[in-house]
Amino acid sequence: MTAHTTTAPARRRRSPAARREERTGWLFMLPFVLLFLLVFIVPIGYAIYSSFFQQVATGGGAYGGGELVNRFVGLENFRYVVTSGEFWAGMGRVLLYTVIQVPLMIVAALVLAMLIDSFVVKHVSGFRLGYFLPYAIPGVIASIIWVYLYNGQISPIVKGLAALGVNVDFFASNVVLGSMVNITTWTFTGYNMLIFLSALQAIPHELYEAARIDGANGWQVAMKVKLPNVRGAALLAMLLSIVGTIQLFNEPQVMQTADPGISYSYTPMMMAFNTSRGFLTPKGDGPASAIAIVMAVIAGLLAMAYAFVERKVSES
Amino acid sequence: MNWKQRCMATVAMVSAVGMALAGCGSGASSSTGGAASASSGGKVELTYIHRLPDKPGMTSVEDIVQRWNDANPDIQVKAVHFNGNASDLIKKLETDVKAGNAPDLAQVGYAELPEVFTKGILEDVTAEAEQYKGDFAAGPYELMGIGGKTYGLPQDTGPLVYFYNKAEFDKLGIEVPGTQDELVASAKKAAEQGKYIMSFQADEAGNMLSGLAGASGPWYTVEGDAWKVDTETVGSQAVAKVFQDLLDAKAVATDPRWDPSFDAALQQGRLIGTVGAAWEAPLLMDSMADKGGKGDWRVAQIGDWFGNGSKTGPDGGSGVAAIKGCEHKAEAMKFLDWFNTQIEDLTSQGLVVAASTGTPSTPESWSEFYGGQDVMKEFFDANANMGDFSYIPGFSSVGTAMKEQAAKAAAGTATVESVFSTAQTSSIDTLKDYGLAVSE
Amino acid sequence: MSIATRREARRAERRRERAQADLPRSMRPSKAVKTITVVVLVVALVYFLFPIYWAIVASTKTPSQLTGSNGLWFAVPLNELPDAIAANYATLLGWTSDRFWRWVGNSLLYSCVSALVGTVVSVMAGYATAKFRFRGKGVTIGIIMAAMLMPATLLTIPQYAIFNALHLDNTMLAVIIPCCVSPFGFFLGRVYAQSSVPDELLEAARIDGAGEARIFFTMVLRLLAPAMVTIFLFMFVATWNNFLLPLMMLSSEDLYPVTLGLYGMVSLAVFNDRGALMMGALLGVLPVIILFLTLQRFWRAGLAAGAVKG
Repeated sequence: MTAHTTTAPARRRRSPAARREERTGWLFMLPFVLLFLLVFIVPIGYAIYSSFFQQVATGGGAYGGGELVNRFVGLENFRYVVTSGEFWAGMGRVLLYTVIQVPLMIVAALVLAMLIDSFVVKHVSGFRLGYFLPYAIPGVIASIIWVYLYNGQISPIVKGLAALGVNVDFFASNVVLGSMVNITTWTFTGYNMLIFLSALQAIPHELYEAARIDGANGWQVAMKVKLPNVRGAALLAMLLSIVGTIQLFNEPQVMQTADPGISYSYTPMMMAFNTSRGFLTPKGDGPASAIAIVMAVIAGLLAMAYAFVERKVSES
Repeated sequence: MNWKQRCMATVAMVSAVGMALAGCGSGASSSTGGAASASSGGKVELTYIHRLPDKPGMTSVEDIVQRWNDANPDIQVKAVHFNGNASDLIKKLETDVKAGNAPDLAQVGYAELPEVFTKGILEDVTAEAEQYKGDFAAGPYELMGIGGKTYGLPQDTGPLVYFYNKAEFDKLGIEVPGTQDELVASAKKAAEQGKYIMSFQADEAGNMLSGLAGASGPWYTVEGDAWKVDTETVGSQAVAKVFQDLLDAKAVATDPRWDPSFDAALQQGRLIGTVGAAWEAPLLMDSMADKGGKGDWRVAQIGDWFGNGSKTGPDGGSGVAAIKGCEHKAEAMKFLDWFNTQIEDLTSQGLVVAASTGTPSTPESWSEFYGGQDVMKEFFDANANMGDFSYIPGFSSVGTAMKEQAAKAAAGTATVESVFSTAQTSSIDTLKDYGLAVSE
Repeated sequence: MSIATRREARRAERRRERAQADLPRSMRPSKAVKTITVVVLVVALVYFLFPIYWAIVASTKTPSQLTGSNGLWFAVPLNELPDAIAANYATLLGWTSDRFWRWVGNSLLYSCVSALVGTVVSVMAGYATAKFRFRGKGVTIGIIMAAMLMPATLLTIPQYAIFNALHLDNTMLAVIIPCCVSPFGFFLGRVYAQSSVPDELLEAARIDGAGEARIFFTMVLRLLAPAMVTIFLFMFVATWNNFLLPLMMLSSEDLYPVTLGLYGMVSLAVFNDRGALMMGALLGVLPVIILFLTLQRFWRAGLAAGAVKG
């Protein structure tokens, strides 16, 4: 992730004003930084530290001596992750998922926002709120609701389609990823739509005036005036969604109850969680941290690549 | 460890400053985590953490404990209901023990006990528990021990039994099968009418298939100081053969146990018989409730289907273990013995108790559903017939591997036999990853 | 966030609506376009609301009715509905040992406090990085942004270890403090401060002799008000939905937030009262929805500020 910083030229001697500015800046930063250290840096440090260890039993006997000790294993955990077919299969699924879900959701959100903003329909607040409502439902609950709606024995949707002669199995191995895409899309489209809507409404009125004088029609206004103005918001939403989807966890974890075919390492995040809970071997915080770290590095690289490409495209 | 302590101290300081600055302290009332046992003036305080359902209509754990507290002013117990699943609880106990503020007593499943022991969470209470041995069935009591030492007292058991809809069976003209051949034949006969008398539950494969195979012999034995692992025993092969036959003939339901489709299969009368743990009795009732089947269902012992003779195997069940750092072991066991023998109350929680101090009467709603049958007696018979099966440290990851493979078997992309060969490799892997000796 | 801002936002919207009404012929939508738009909007609405409708219907059902009855409608006649609702409500209260509303209250408290503190802290930090030069700024920003990549779920265990060492576990602070920190909140705060706090204003205030703290708390915060509502709501929802953190941190049931209570129901193998769960989820979400409704205008304005510059 790139952070655009306002780089100040390095000055050897700072003026009193500059020193005061420095002090004030840090004072404003301080509360956040302290909390951040406590909640993020120290735990991340701990995770990195523990990624070099594995827990083993010592003291002999079939059950060990009744205590696990941390054994330094160097890069063994990382070797395990990088050479694990399960990990890369999970990574592949998540990437495929991201490639489908993120554009789908962003485009859907954009279309809805533009339609609402077109004022073709009056009294849009009902639509706006309705689209947004799913965002208020906690992810786990949303997944449970959808698992029901996918279930052939219960779902009015599946039953209704079957009555029309269309038999769908939302859990079929080549469909199940799409079923997850749907859950995420359902939850977050409204949220993104609201962001776009706000961006649209922030477009200065003069731009419309100008378009009107030029004799542009509604479609042209949408393409030439509105779209360029929400670009920034869309790109940001894209970036955040990519980071979010890489960590895909809730949906597959809940869907696993209905479909044991979803493995415990279906996504890297699930693999990390289940490793930490002892459902996969090697188990424990060491290997789990290694999985998380490799995953975070990949997510970071992807985000950087995305930002880089985006910049190149916007420059040309 | 020094690094860690220093790091914690720094964190403590940083956070204190941070809180003062951020004004976080406001609006927060802290109740000190009285997890560690403390004694003040002869009074002993114990903490007991559990995952019992505490559903409406049950005698709540809090109420049971309250009775103890009223009668025993010197041993005051605080019951804490843990709201997560078993693996969440183990994770928490692990951290708590390291931090030195673990509860005194905690619910631990029999299958998890070896792992929890290996993790160093348990406290040896062999001496303190010995005197209560007679209050519990022998099998479960053994399961609370490792290598000749005892770490707690058993609470409930989960012998595998057979649940079936007698009315439907009568209609089909079949009976509870006594042998393997009869089982397969009856299942096929039922399948012709669109009915299933068996279910292959991929999500329960780890517990149920191991339990069924375990009815005829153990998978894990200790020789010297090393594990001998054989998950492809004659019993396992028999289980594999039966289910493979049934799957191939499409004569078995494949709905996952904890998916609503399983309930639907029961309600629609598609599934009219299934192997299940004793603790599933009230769950099956809930699943069907007002959808018929009331009074038609029965409980039977597992037949000689897998070369198991009259034996059955374990599926679930748990005890309460003493957790490392428990200072008042004698008092803790005294309370625990009392608590685990509150048969009536624990039965209300849906448990088939491990206590042998009395015979629990079958709750009225149960016998109504099971056609007036004394199902508790069936469960007790099953309990007494439990095969000798024990688990290894890290069995949960073996169960995971089995589930994943069983899902493939249910979908027809793998054999049931491969579920057991997967168990073999994953058992050896998990032991080795723990650094425990395996003799091959 | 004064009434004035609100009124102004409303006025602006009306102005745009009017402008739309007297568009030249070329920009007026044709009948076909209008129909298609309405159809698309309505279909989308059905898609987003149907699962919620289903959940409402499901919240009145027993486990067997859930699988055994028509999913589109209630399982009992309408006149028996109050009883069905009462039954599930009783089940819900039973599952939660009569603590359901207490847990909703806890959730409110946790979400409000951590969102409030978190918003102020984020905005302060965002303002600092947007308007001040200091050493280590670039690196600090980089690290904070990078932290977004670390899955929060996996930080819960080390966080628990730390709070345990501080003897803060099983206190309200153990839930509130971790939820006070949001790299995303910081990021938004920074973007907002860049876009809506003019340098000239700060200079003018400094020339007038105002102290930095005074400038921030009296002037900057007011300018950032809509932005802050956005961050507040974002953090509020994040805290509201968190269950792994309280699960690890809290052992006394009196401190539980409502999501943890619901998670507890789901995590038991024996659980199947999904109707009661749905009811709990819907009741638990109600405060969030009310909050969104009442604060809608502010935070939409806030989103705009962030979105344009993003």
